[in-house]
Amino acid sequence: MTQERASRKKGSHTATVLSNVQAGECFWKLRFRFEGEAAQAFAGFRPGQFIQFDTSELAIPSIETIPVALRNGARRNVLLRRPFSFSDVTVESNVTTADLLYCIVGPASLRMTTLREGDTASIVGPLGNGFAVREGTRIALLVVGGMGLPPIRCLAKSLSVEHPDITAVAFIGSRTVNALPLEERPAVFEEDLSLSVPTFATLGVPSMVATDDGSAGHRGPVTECLSQWLQENADRPREEIVVYACGPERMLAAVARIANEKDIDCQVSMERRMACGIGLCQSCAIECRLADSDETIYKLCCQDGPVFDAREVVFGTDDA
Amino acid sequence: MSVEFAGLRLANPVFTASGTCGYADELADFMDVDALGGFITKSITLKPRKGNPTPRIVETDAGMLNAIGLANVGLERFVAEKLPVIARMKSAVFVNVAGTTIEEYVAVVERLAGEKALAGFELNISCPNVKKGGISFGTDPAQVEEITRAVKKACGSKVLIVKLAPAVTDISVTARAAVAGGADALSLINTFTAMVIDIETRRPVLTNRTGGLSGPAIKPIAVYLVNKVYREVAREARIPLLGLGGIRSAADAVEFLMAGATAVAVGTASFVEPDCAVQIVAGLRDYCARKKITRLAELTGSLDRPA
Repeated sequence: MTQERASRKKGSHTATVLSNVQAGECFWKLRFRFEGEAAQAFAGFRPGQFIQFDTSELAIPSIETIPVALRNGARRNVLLRRPFSFSDVTVESNVTTADLLYCIVGPASLRMTTLREGDTASIVGPLGNGFAVREGTRIALLVVGGMGLPPIRCLAKSLSVEHPDITAVAFIGSRTVNALPLEERPAVFEEDLSLSVPTFATLGVPSMVATDDGSAGHRGPVTECLSQWLQENADRPREEIVVYACGPERMLAAVARIANEKDIDCQVSMERRMACGIGLCQSCAIECRLADSDETIYKLCCQDGPVFDAREVVFGTDDA
Repeated sequence: MSVEFAGLRLANPVFTASGTCGYADELADFMDVDALGGFITKSITLKPRKGNPTPRIVETDAGMLNAIGLANVGLERFVAEKLPVIARMKSAVFVNVAGTTIEEYVAVVERLAGEKALAGFELNISCPNVKKGGISFGTDPAQVEEITRAVKKACGSKVLIVKLAPAVTDISVTARAAVAGGADALSLINTFTAMVIDIETRRPVLTNRTGGLSGPAIKPIAVYLVNKVYREVAREARIPLLGLGGIRSAADAVEFLMAGATAVAVGTASFVEPDCAVQIVAGLRDYCARKKITRLAELTGSLDRPA
């Protein structure tokens, strides 16, 4: 039986900030604590699900600390919540802690950097459907591109804890080595799969890094690493393998193509601009094929996804 | 807290606005949907509509633009899947109806007019995001009167609300046309057509080029237009107004009531705080207690009465 992909009840919750630190040149890491009902709600968080985070009331950092490229938009008011996926969720009796790995890209994420220990935050969630672990899976190939890291790292942990019988392997793509979170940077970048990337190594998941500029690991798109693995392991029964991917839409399209050529199951975590995240606004449309038909329909990223079977998605250009 | 609205007795004057609250009980995880005075469904068209390609929304400094393109399941699926859920809801439910021809509007209303679960209809003749129909009906007074009359005939005993477009030279002209056509109530305002440009790509952010501006940015304009229509049309014609546009708090709602609205609707704010509408019901109750107001109707149009 396929494991449940969504926790049952979504709601509006309050979280307390435990820490908020810069985690690399591009990444910051926020750690939240949920108590009571919220702790229960997020104890059921499935990897790939997401939250809607209200940053509208947070302070703007002082202008001189804001990267020049973001100064134009920095003072713009924030109205809508922003969707994020957790990179790690830990449940301990009545307290649930969750890590949110984020990049600074605009006025909302800029404001998030001013959160301090003890501050509270308004979070709606858990939302959407996470990754599904189908019975019979023996090998999980985890493919990450850039900001697609958080839900895949969360999945890696859940696989190692809940499905020790499944062998997971991670391919982590990044523009350049400095765009990787510090925690993800090994002392030595191996050219092949190894227990080198610390966060995946601690889960027993071998991994390798690919960078566009060749500054570390494999030089070229991360999809080349995936193709190579599939070639080298061509004797493995394809029904035992599932590819899980999160990253830019172009990368997801390439991953989907590779998986489809080999007739391997592939689940992709998609992203769209969202207003509500709960199926009301209809803004996060994903074009999907109807089975046995040339027709397409729009599904909602927030409600029908964000994780989709790669076969049904009509990939476009990056939207969100 | 109860109000009379076009002959209906509503538990309170707070609605959720079309396109921001789903078809039925989608918000049930976040609030008691039965605590609403009224509920207006997403626009329903005769045939299903896919809607526009993404990006469909973009945030602005004090609001957002949307160009969803009336994506909806169509009349048939609405009847089969959504009506049974609506039948269990206690608040007054209005179906927002959209189309590209008068015949399409009438066909939807005729099919639904006999449904006991429904209190009435909201006529969407002010959607800025579709090529045909929508706002093109809503800006020409002769067309407003004609479509209102045709739909009213199909309505039976149900209440007909006509939703007005804000970007017209004189909104009272279209308001009068809707009243002449037989509207039982008017809702105002719909969104303003607007644009956001990506200066890196030199393209509009929205694939549809333009979208409807909603949210706090439009609230003062909406309050003004409600007051204008109240003074120039609705008060004399004894037609209730449903005021909306950027309402986020009970204080915002009170402004609309004072300007002349009998009821108010919460739209964009529900995207941010899913239970915003029921919070506003509670806030209105507090305001009335503080001001010793026993009937909410006292507030309606009180701006233009001696303090």
